Amino acid sequence: MTRGARGLFAPDRVAVVGATEREGSIGQAIMENLQDFDGEVIPLNPKRDEVFGIPAYDDITDVDGDVDLAVIVVPPHIAVEATRQLAEHGVANVVVITAGFGETGSEGAARERELQDIAAEYELNLVGPNSLGVMSTPAKMNATFGPDAALPGSMSFMSQSGAFITAVIDWANDQGIGFKDIASLGNKAVLDETDFITFWHEDEATEVILAYLEGIDDGREFIDTAREVTKDTPIVMVKSGRTEAGAQAASSHTGTIAGSEQAYEAGLDQAGVLRAENVQELFDFAQILEGQPVPAGNQVAVISNAGGPGVMATDAIGDSNLEMANFTDETLRQLGDSLPDGANIYNPVDTIGDADNERFRTAIDIVLADPNVDAAIVLSAPVAVLDYDELAEDIATLQAEYEKPVAAGLMGGERTANPEEILGDHGIPNYFDPARGVQSLDALVTYRNITDIEYQAPTTYDVDRERAAEILHAVEGRDTNRLGVEAMGLLDAYGIPIPEGEIVDTPGDAETVAASIEGDVVMKIVSPDILHKSDIGGVKVGVPGEEVRDAYEDLVTRAKNYQPDATILGVQVQEMVDLESGSETILGMNRDPQFGPLILFGLGGIFVEILEDTTVRVAPVSEREAEEMLEDIESAPLLRGARGRDPVDEAAITESVQRLSQLVTDFPAILELDINPLVATPTGVQAVDIRLTVDPDQL
Amino acid sequence: MNTLLLASTQESTGKTAVALALGQLARADDRAVGYMKPKGTRLQSNVGKTLDADPMLARELLDLDAEMHEMEPIVYSTTFIEGAIRGQEDPEELRDRIEESYRDIAADADLMIIEGSGVYTTGGIVDLADDDIAELVDAGVLLLERLDSVGDLDRILGAVDRLGDRIEGIVFNAVPDSMYDLVESDIVPYLETRGVPVYGVIPHNRNLAGVTLSDLTDELGGQVLTGENGDVFVERVLVGAMSGESALSHFRRTKDAAVITGGDRADIQRAALEAPGVKALILTGGFDAPGAVLGKAAERDVPVVKVQSDTLATVERAEELIRGGRVRDARTVEQMRQLLHDHVDVDAVLR
Repeated sequence: MTRGARGLFAPDRVAVVGATEREGSIGQAIMENLQDFDGEVIPLNPKRDEVFGIPAYDDITDVDGDVDLAVIVVPPHIAVEATRQLAEHGVANVVVITAGFGETGSEGAARERELQDIAAEYELNLVGPNSLGVMSTPAKMNATFGPDAALPGSMSFMSQSGAFITAVIDWANDQGIGFKDIASLGNKAVLDETDFITFWHEDEATEVILAYLEGIDDGREFIDTAREVTKDTPIVMVKSGRTEAGAQAASSHTGTIAGSEQAYEAGLDQAGVLRAENVQELFDFAQILEGQPVPAGNQVAVISNAGGPGVMATDAIGDSNLEMANFTDETLRQLGDSLPDGANIYNPVDTIGDADNERFRTAIDIVLADPNVDAAIVLSAPVAVLDYDELAEDIATLQAEYEKPVAAGLMGGERTANPEEILGDHGIPNYFDPARGVQSLDALVTYRNITDIEYQAPTTYDVDRERAAEILHAVEGRDTNRLGVEAMGLLDAYGIPIPEGEIVDTPGDAETVAASIEGDVVMKIVSPDILHKSDIGGVKVGVPGEEVRDAYEDLVTRAKNYQPDATILGVQVQEMVDLESGSETILGMNRDPQFGPLILFGLGGIFVEILEDTTVRVAPVSEREAEEMLEDIESAPLLRGARGRDPVDEAAITESVQRLSQLVTDFPAILELDINPLVATPTGVQAVDIRLTVDPDQL
Repeated sequence: MNTLLLASTQESTGKTAVALALGQLARADDRAVGYMKPKGTRLQSNVGKTLDADPMLARELLDLDAEMHEMEPIVYSTTFIEGAIRGQEDPEELRDRIEESYRDIAADADLMIIEGSGVYTTGGIVDLADDDIAELVDAGVLLLERLDSVGDLDRILGAVDRLGDRIEGIVFNAVPDSMYDLVESDIVPYLETRGVPVYGVIPHNRNLAGVTLSDLTDELGGQVLTGENGDVFVERVLVGAMSGESALSHFRRTKDAAVITGGDRADIQRAALEAPGVKALILTGGFDAPGAVLGKAAERDVPVVKVQSDTLATVERAEELIRGGRVRDARTVEQMRQLLHDHVDVDAVLR
């Protein structure tokens, strides 16, 4: 966003283009919603002298002085002209509520392009089109056409679904949950999610950023920006279109391309964004981030007056990144003194069912005082001797005193209403389900880990770019965009080790090359049209020198029989790589439409094909991220020497990951690339085969 | 007066493009050129008009005055063939008709270029196969052939035998990279030993492959939903029936393709729009795509066409059309002129 962006959420004067009193119209709804606005509202409508008692003007040129924000509700073709007029007049922020742009077809898309051109020309901050509007509680500004205004708060919320916003506000109002700013992104023609997180990062009144998105426009930019933002301001996001069915729906709804779920997991992870699976998590996480401090560590104590819920909480902790705290001897002694004999003084603490407020409070006090305890979850079932209101007060007091995050689990129905409010006033969430409480504390720990990360720059290796470019250009003369083993030099050019070998096109040459290689050789048919060489007998392993000629003929014949119109470039004669002492791994890359190049790694064979045990990162990948990738995969122990094998050279693997990252960053034309297998041995790695897809227009 | 008949043993060898290109080259040399296609077989479909597009193009490009019925005296339609086998056609009368048209057109020309049927044996039913016609108008025959594998030689030699003394020579067209060296180093010398000169070997040229999207749209009876770019060239079709996630990977591997998919597959459509090699989107089943997808298509300049037929039928028809590669425009002939110039001994051919 540019100069004057402050006026988007905190304008002094708001113009409404298309303001009207006509029943049931959007213009009317906006004007009504703006009645509570602290600043000035200026209706613009050539057909009216006044709207709701406020004098109206024909258009912006009739208005004296500066207007910081304009809201447009007029039909699409007028909206474009109105935008231009506003921009020319110096209005810095425009919200286009009007629909009928890119989401409706090609004519609409053309109109949307016009809006983009105007915005670019005048450096306009344009929200939408097809937006519900924007809202900001400090000035009581509701420039949306939704039915309700939000309560004040310190969470700012952006959504790609306007309807979702109205539902959220209605629910949040019931819950007593408030917001600072709300933005309906609409078609994201100009301002997108990256712009808003940047803006709210600088906004001191925004403590947590929430988002509902179906797609991210420029993933890499988002990651780089979010990394900065999340150092100070947590971002929690629900990104839908995660499943096959959901992706179809998203494409229909907003024309979003289905980015892979793995890409989003990796991308949002690398961005330092907390991902919520659903709406409930979105608000659970947001609220606890808003109301509770971030813990110093991940050691959690569970205090409960009922054994069952205590165990449930413990289970949930086992599933999370939290750990059960080990109390100090001093804590145990104190708990032993203050709790009756039947109680459990170890974590999870069970005060037993007859605990009154006094006993409960004492237990919480002792536990929170323990230096080994970073956070706590307090659970309670209703009993006659326990006053929930007083318990809530005690929890709040103690939490504030020790400044450690606490989640409450006061279970029950009606009787929890007032205590929940008390706790809520102090920023402490209350849940019926202990697992939810644990997950919320887990989110705090995740956020703490995010703030601890120090992002590393990627390593730059000394590579042969010209040679790589030359090899990639081979795809231009072809019918398809694919290259195969004939492109192995690409890896060599970027310092990824490949076995000795050459591609030949006569049996005689094959024999000569084989003679120059020690030991038996591997021979493979080279054809960009044949994808699965081994399936068609296109690979021969362990060919001794005297059988090379025959092997050559055989390979070519099989290929021609299998696919008569395949282009055969020859046969690759290659050094045999020792697979016995090595582990087969897969190293690849896929260009995700939203995040850009995604580096993928896993163990080969069934591990990737059946178990799908792979890890991805968005490139460029730093050394630390590459090392993390090796930690990520479940079958990592096999690389480290399980079952009597020697550990492989992990540093060589991480170096290959980084070199590949550099290759695909240097050449945006590479759309997909697979090194399968990358054989890892105790002394290094070798890339044995390669397949890639190139976009010749980007070379 | 020189009369040259272009014949082939297979359909779609590029006869029209070569015929017209030769005609243009001859005219550039100040020769008066006449053109005929005695048996019109490439019929306009759908609308039912039985006029061949090739003579029409010839008239335009070679600036000819001749009447359509003279350039194409016989319309070799299914109706004609049925009539012929029932004895309703008189081969004598047909021969006379062709001869008369030939004489009329040849009167003003010093080079006559005659385009044979798709396959040279067509017309045998009424004793008017291409070798019969060559005999009738005293033409030398230039065989224009594709060569996708060495196995094709047997078929070509069969034609050589049948044509006997009439054969002038062979030109190979659209020879794939993988065959080119073999053709030059082994096949051409072999044919010379069989007494058949090879006047040229034209390599496969990507620009001459494929059909325009307008042609495809017309033939499929489609409706353009967005994008006016009918000039887009489509060389292949891909079917979009896989999962949304694998779609992008699949589409990225292709070039100059049209993706054919159901109108209800928004995820496939969106993935297709993301792939650089996808030049057009064809939606089947009479569905409209969601507005958001059309908006994106407009943004990326990818035309979207809607057809009523189902995916399978559409794919089959589209592939047929692409294989047929209709030569409809001056551009293709122009490119062929350049190829002839670069790879063929045109002087020897046109003598």
